[in-house]
Amino acid sequence: MNAAVARFGAKRRVWILLAPALVALTLFYFVPIAQSALYSLFDLRFTLNVGDARFLGAGNYVRALTSPVLWRAAAFTVTFAVVVVALDLAAGMVLALATYWVDKRFRTILRVLIIIPWAIPNVIQASIWRWLFDSDVGLIGDILVRVGVAASPPLFLVESELAALTIVITYVWKGAAISAIFCMAALATVPKEIVESAWIDGAGPLRRFVSVTLPMMIPVLLVALIFRSRDALRVFDVVYSLTGGGPGGSTETLSTLTYKTYFSFSQYGLGSAYAILSFLLIFSVATIYLLRLRREIHDPESL
Amino acid sequence: MILRRHRRTALSILVVILVAIYSLGPLVWIGITSIKPAGTEFRIPLEYFPAEPTLESYRVVLSETFSIQTALFNSVTVSFVAMVGSLLLSGFAAYVIARFRFRWRFAVILLVQAAGMIPPIIVIAPTFIMLRAAGLVGTVWAIIVPNIAYGIPLATLLLTAYFTRIPLSIEEAAQLDGAGRVRVYWQIVLPISTPAMVSAGVLCFLGSWGEFMHAFTVSLGLPRLRTVPVAILSYTQAFEMQWSWVSAATVISIVPVVVLAVFFQRGVVRGLTAGAVN
Repeated sequence: MNAAVARFGAKRRVWILLAPALVALTLFYFVPIAQSALYSLFDLRFTLNVGDARFLGAGNYVRALTSPVLWRAAAFTVTFAVVVVALDLAAGMVLALATYWVDKRFRTILRVLIIIPWAIPNVIQASIWRWLFDSDVGLIGDILVRVGVAASPPLFLVESELAALTIVITYVWKGAAISAIFCMAALATVPKEIVESAWIDGAGPLRRFVSVTLPMMIPVLLVALIFRSRDALRVFDVVYSLTGGGPGGSTETLSTLTYKTYFSFSQYGLGSAYAILSFLLIFSVATIYLLRLRREIHDPESL
Repeated sequence: MILRRHRRTALSILVVILVAIYSLGPLVWIGITSIKPAGTEFRIPLEYFPAEPTLESYRVVLSETFSIQTALFNSVTVSFVAMVGSLLLSGFAAYVIARFRFRWRFAVILLVQAAGMIPPIIVIAPTFIMLRAAGLVGTVWAIIVPNIAYGIPLATLLLTAYFTRIPLSIEEAAQLDGAGRVRVYWQIVLPISTPAMVSAGVLCFLGSWGEFMHAFTVSLGLPRLRTVPVAILSYTQAFEMQWSWVSAATVISIVPVVVLAVFFQRGVVRGLTAGAVN
């Protein structure tokens, strides 16, 4: 096999074919990270000219890590991610199981219905829910009043705790659809025969799911967990367009904080330090994924 | 037995209805809001059925002032061109990863997937500066080019998984006929990989379609450069905005992607299955 590879002069071709993708990734991922790392070491305010700026070393990081604003945003981001990922994986699992459980005739229509929120861009999803949660004429407030849960429509986006809840609901609406797609993919990997033989052995539906189906889904579910955590930890669009981080900074996430520090306050050095720190947080999750890849990847069968 | 089957049918219908309310409910409300005469959407009590339905809001958002069609056009251009770019670059990369043994193979896989984990917030500002230096800011290319890169990690993952599963014998036969590697890729591998290309393509397309942070930053607030998400957000923040207008714009802009997703749902699930169980 190796001889065949050599025959095609593969070495050079490998890099010629890989180059375009690697160059694109380098230009738009790796170089920008290096630049952010560089900016974070300088006292850059209102200008991005590193040549004129004072070198601060770790100064921006000290300032960032001693700032309550950053810790508050980090705490909100992590809490948000844990809550949202748990909710949307659970909801996604229920939805995916439903597509298997329902009568065959309804399977496609159900799958289509589940998938619809997934197609809607985050910002648009946020604007739809902002209208639904409007505190004067929102549908949800109106329904709550009509069924007698609330005396008057709650101020969803005005009170801190309600605002956080609003963001979670909005996020999970689409998140559940994404997780459901992953769970459907995971369910498809479970061999039918094994579940059937458990059924013949007299295992009930819950038992079959917990001790046969679920364990077999775990490899794909792990990927889902990692991708969903990554997305939740870097949440920006939904928060930015629903609350803008308010009220009073109570729903500020690492990404909205960084974006504002950068583009609203022009504190480029400090903003870059925030960006690098959020990057490190998200990359701690990514490492799990990359380590897993290491275990899974085998040498290819070559020609 | 028959009774049990009926019960199952009835419960199935119930499940479908509940999921329909969940998925479509918010969209239906936006649809209802969009046909209310501007201003009446703020009336209390809420009108669940508009007393005087009208398509006036659609005329407004399609007019010169708002021009949602410009945003739609930009989004289609950006998403389509970026999708083609991502598929082209990822296809080559995935083929090499799936079929060649070379020293840095694992490092390449790691590098590509690590890129997919990078939060956009850290690249957005330096990318803006780089694109400005390249003179692209102010053109639609400033939105397209980075989106090509943003699509690569996921597309490469899915395509590699698919290529790996193609039986070697097919390619070997072609090689015996004297076809070179690149020709084998174009003429043999690509055509039989259509399902994977479609699902990777749909994911890339929707990824660029929904991308906000970068498009927002490089559009400089110019209406002619807005993509759909940027346009919708700017409408909701505009002074004295009517929600019936925002709703009409939302309806117009989500119809294409919802149709796309519905049409390709099976392929997307299948593509992800292949990618996730490498």
